[in-house]
Amino acid sequence: MNETIGAAGGSGGGLDPRGAAAIMTQACERARRELRVRRPVVFVTWGVVVLAGYGAMWLSVRSQHPVTGPAWETLLLAFLLILAAAGITANVVDQAAEGVGGRSQVQRGIFCLALVAGFAALEIVKQALWQAGLSHQLAALLGEAIPMLVAGLVLLASSAMTAPPDWPRLALGLWLLAVTAGGTWAGPVTGLAIAALAGGGGIAAMAVIEPRLRRS
Amino acid sequence: MTGAVLDPVIHVPARLQIMVTLAALPADDDLSFTRLQELIELTPGNLITHLRKLADTGYVTTQKNGSGVSARTSVALTHAGRAALERYTTVLRQLLDSASGS
Repeated sequence: MNETIGAAGGSGGGLDPRGAAAIMTQACERARRELRVRRPVVFVTWGVVVLAGYGAMWLSVRSQHPVTGPAWETLLLAFLLILAAAGITANVVDQAAEGVGGRSQVQRGIFCLALVAGFAALEIVKQALWQAGLSHQLAALLGEAIPMLVAGLVLLASSAMTAPPDWPRLALGLWLLAVTAGGTWAGPVTGLAIAALAGGGGIAAMAVIEPRLRRS
Repeated sequence: MTGAVLDPVIHVPARLQIMVTLAALPADDDLSFTRLQELIELTPGNLITHLRKLADTGYVTTQKNGSGVSARTSVALTHAGRAALERYTTVLRQLLDSASGS
């Protein structure tokens, strides 16, 4: 590389430093806008799902004595909400990740695998415990703790996959684990309310907190 | 600031856009030719010309996978390219600072 350009500009099609800076700023902003996953959308979506899903379950069990578990309609609602949120998330991620390959593509795959495998394994464990004579109350506790537990652990572990570590993801993972622990101790009925408000609220709040953490 | 020089390979609008766009990706990631073309808004021929220049200098690598309709050409910034862009940014900042100070 023999050719050099000094303060006066030299070659580069008459591109002066100020023009170069403007091009860099525009290209950088556009790349970030187009290639970065719109996380606030994902956080709000899952926050609403957790709030509505757990909230509906809480409404269906709050007058049960003894607790026999959420009504099947609320479980169906939760399932449909999860499906809708998964669809929205996939769409948001696909928009940003289209054409992007390499390491982060592998990381996304592992992240999804960890979530699916975690939910599947714990659901199988729950069924095995049910077969072994698990009570309704314990099954309800386990049922509400599993999703938050898996999501919290996967978020926590995956926060170390990026360089620098994904601090918002780590914070959310820890928060979900804390909500799971607190909710389980509160019992199957109050636990659902805690999961709805603290869990759903916490996830949705990340839509506001995460961009600030990123900027700092 | 008379000693500051901007890398002439990067100091071209289209190539500057390419470098900055690829640098927005995490290290070890690549971008398909098609997506890069969308983001830069260049014709395929122009993009190929600029990518060839950057590849000759070792700033980017291109890789073609598959064949026929499923063929995908990916473009990635090399470590040397990332370092060169950092140097370019530093020099540019110095030039702007000295211009605003004078």
